[in-house]
Amino acid sequence: MNADKVLDAKGLACPMPIVKTRKEMKDMESGQVLEILATDKGAKADMTAWAKSGGHELLDIQEEGGVLKFWIKKG
Amino acid sequence: MAGKTAIIASNGSLFDAYKVYNIATAAAASDHEVAIFFTFEGLNLINKEAYEQLALPEGKEQMAEGLRAANVPTIPELAEMAQELEVKFIGCQMTMDLFGLEKDAFIDGIDVGGAVTFLDFAKDADVTLTF
Repeated sequence: MNADKVLDAKGLACPMPIVKTRKEMKDMESGQVLEILATDKGAKADMTAWAKSGGHELLDIQEEGGVLKFWIKKG
Repeated sequence: MAGKTAIIASNGSLFDAYKVYNIATAAAASDHEVAIFFTFEGLNLINKEAYEQLALPEGKEQMAEGLRAANVPTIPELAEMAQELEVKFIGCQMTMDLFGLEKDAFIDGIDVGGAVTFLDFAKDADVTLTF
């Protein structure tokens, strides 16, 4: 999937993946897609909840060799 | 703002600090307006000297290594991050007086107030937490 920006949050513990995602998203335009890489297992539920509460669209989640990949479209 | 979160921090161990700052930064990153009222031992969490070296709870000292391995941010890092996210820090005047501490013993950017200052913020909060 194409992303406008990629955020590498691998190795970071909660709540850092969310804090960093929020920071990246703030500088993006509505409709742009951010790809986030994370190894924090809690991020799966947290990213989903964060996107929902912020009015963003979680396009997809994939898992590859212990790395979670999220694609979130800014609302 | 997506919501409002009011937190009371009244305990001062390292675990207490993580509970408070993790929830506060997560709430702020979710666009909540957040305030933390630091009272009694909770004042350790914003005390310039104490917050660098908060104690682990008794019997849990061996977890210091685990925290490092998990790549968890330090408390000063989390406090700074919370302030960058515009979390409001309120130090309890009454306990500061009780412990003989002045405002300059604490990190920059805190407000000092009493219970009513916190209650005024918390009265229409969506989430209220005590640690």
